[in-house]
Amino acid sequence: MWLLGGLLLAFIVLPIVRLATTSSVTSLRHAADTAAIRDATLLSLQAAAITAGIATLLGVPLAYLLARGTFRGRGLVQAVVDLPLVVPHTVAGIALLFLFGRTGWVGSPATHLGVSFYGSQWGIVTAMLFVSAPFAVNSARVAFEAIDPRLERAARSLGATPWHAFRRITVPLGLRGVLTGAVLVYARSISEFGAVVILAYYPATAPVEIYNLFLQSGLTQSASAAVMLLIVTLATFLVFRTLAAGRLLARVDRAYR
Amino acid sequence: MPTADHGLDVSGLAGRAGSFNLGPIDLGVAAGRVLALLGPSGAGKTMLLETIAGLRPQRSGKIRLAGADLTGVPAERRRIGLVFQDAALFPHLSVKENVRFGPRARRDASGADTDSLLCQLGLSQLASLSPRWLSGGERQRVALARALAIKPGLLLLDEPLSALDQPTREEMRMLLQELLAELDIPAVHVTHDRDEALSIGDDLAVIAGGQLRQTGSVSQVAAEPIDQDVARLLGWSELGNGIAAHGTVRTGQLLLPGTAPAEMHGPVHIFYRPEDVLLGMPARDSPAGTSLTAHIERILLTRPLARISPASDPPVTALLLHRDVERLHVQAGRSIEATLPPGSTRIFPAT
Repeated sequence: MWLLGGLLLAFIVLPIVRLATTSSVTSLRHAADTAAIRDATLLSLQAAAITAGIATLLGVPLAYLLARGTFRGRGLVQAVVDLPLVVPHTVAGIALLFLFGRTGWVGSPATHLGVSFYGSQWGIVTAMLFVSAPFAVNSARVAFEAIDPRLERAARSLGATPWHAFRRITVPLGLRGVLTGAVLVYARSISEFGAVVILAYYPATAPVEIYNLFLQSGLTQSASAAVMLLIVTLATFLVFRTLAAGRLLARVDRAYR
Repeated sequence: MPTADHGLDVSGLAGRAGSFNLGPIDLGVAAGRVLALLGPSGAGKTMLLETIAGLRPQRSGKIRLAGADLTGVPAERRRIGLVFQDAALFPHLSVKENVRFGPRARRDASGADTDSLLCQLGLSQLASLSPRWLSGGERQRVALARALAIKPGLLLLDEPLSALDQPTREEMRMLLQELLAELDIPAVHVTHDRDEALSIGDDLAVIAGGQLRQTGSVSQVAAEPIDQDVARLLGWSELGNGIAAHGTVRTGQLLLPGTAPAEMHGPVHIFYRPEDVLLGMPARDSPAGTSLTAHIERILLTRPLARISPASDPPVTALLLHRDVERLHVQAGRSIEATLPPGSTRIFPAT
């Protein structure tokens, strides 16, 4: 068991260790001082955070409907939610380009209103949202499904409107799943390349910038930028996870004191 | 059943869940009275309560509480207190926050009431605890306090005692009886336990397969079950088949006069209550034929009553106090006389 599991662990850890050892502190500082790399990294962080917010806002109601609803076509809705998981990301990018490009159904009227998805931060967020939305919905759905539906009924009988019961009972009890979903969306978004590069090649996100560096300057040059992105991504990921867990722990502590 | 001005009045209430049909159901509970709703699992007891509470859609019928029509009124505006089998306390809120949930949701500023409720139910010491640390009995008391905090016009109790162990159940039952006697509101207590139904209810309604089979005062329903299902639920045992003619039923060695309706003729099914069977000398006023003599085949020293089974036709079993087992010298193999006194049998047409 441990031998096979260890093989997989080594397979995951070794490339990252090897990558990390390629860069010196000087080369990392140089990468951080390069405006293009810095801007790309900040853009990635910002877009991923916005995506996590939107995915949670739109995903939680859908997750609740899927967890509690007995409506017709529930299976179909769930399949649609899972669709982005099986669509190759470059294919997703092309499909999004058709819809959100300058002449697309959404892109054309949006351009008239002064909003462009092609080659803008909105395009980046759109691409990130498409590929990562299932994580927000599914994580919250699993959490909601685990909550005893009688708790909501008890709340209703005590005088809570359905919205009040959802806000005061279901959301707090499902918070762990909702936050986990948001963190997963954030992580998935920051690493997205395929869909983003097609819908919004410019401004370049960090993965796109690293790919450009790799094509233009080769492996060594791109490695420093890659390590920097890795450090920033892991750091923010850990911070968000800790924040999510911290809020939970605080709640748990308060409730069980 | 009489329904006063503050009572619950349900008429023609029907609902559906998948292929299960509930009702149409008519029942009434007067203010200050407790209706015990007795039925086996899957009879529709919980569904009936949730329909009355407005948590499930009704297909037809009317629900009136204190004279007001509740049909179409959303659950949160019905002011009906609901207590679930395993309490269903909010796990992320403290005991006190659980009890205050209702008044807060209704924007009732009656904080003092929740404090006195906690005190009344002996929960003051536990107020700041999470439900996680409570025993089963404590959880049910919190659930009860939470339901009472909204000053309900009706209390619906969905098997509140069945998840508790025996001593806690007794304790909780007594507390419930005291509380229900103090409250001047109607209450419906759902249970599948006969003893609980008989001890806690003023009135009794028996439900099976989504239909109310019989309603009436507890003593009347217990003494005169309307059909075989109701008889079984109320603890009557099957004695076997017999033949009825002119009010008298014949089965094996027994001849039971005045037990069948005069118009009932032909094959019948006989039920009896083992705790009513007399062993030893028959009572003086027992009609001839209601006694039989047989050797004792088996003695089961179950508690609280021992089960004595003579090798008789029909096979009668008697329930006896343990001290009477000794007093009557009940021993396996001894011959003994068993009597079915008047009122201890029910006759139903054989189906």
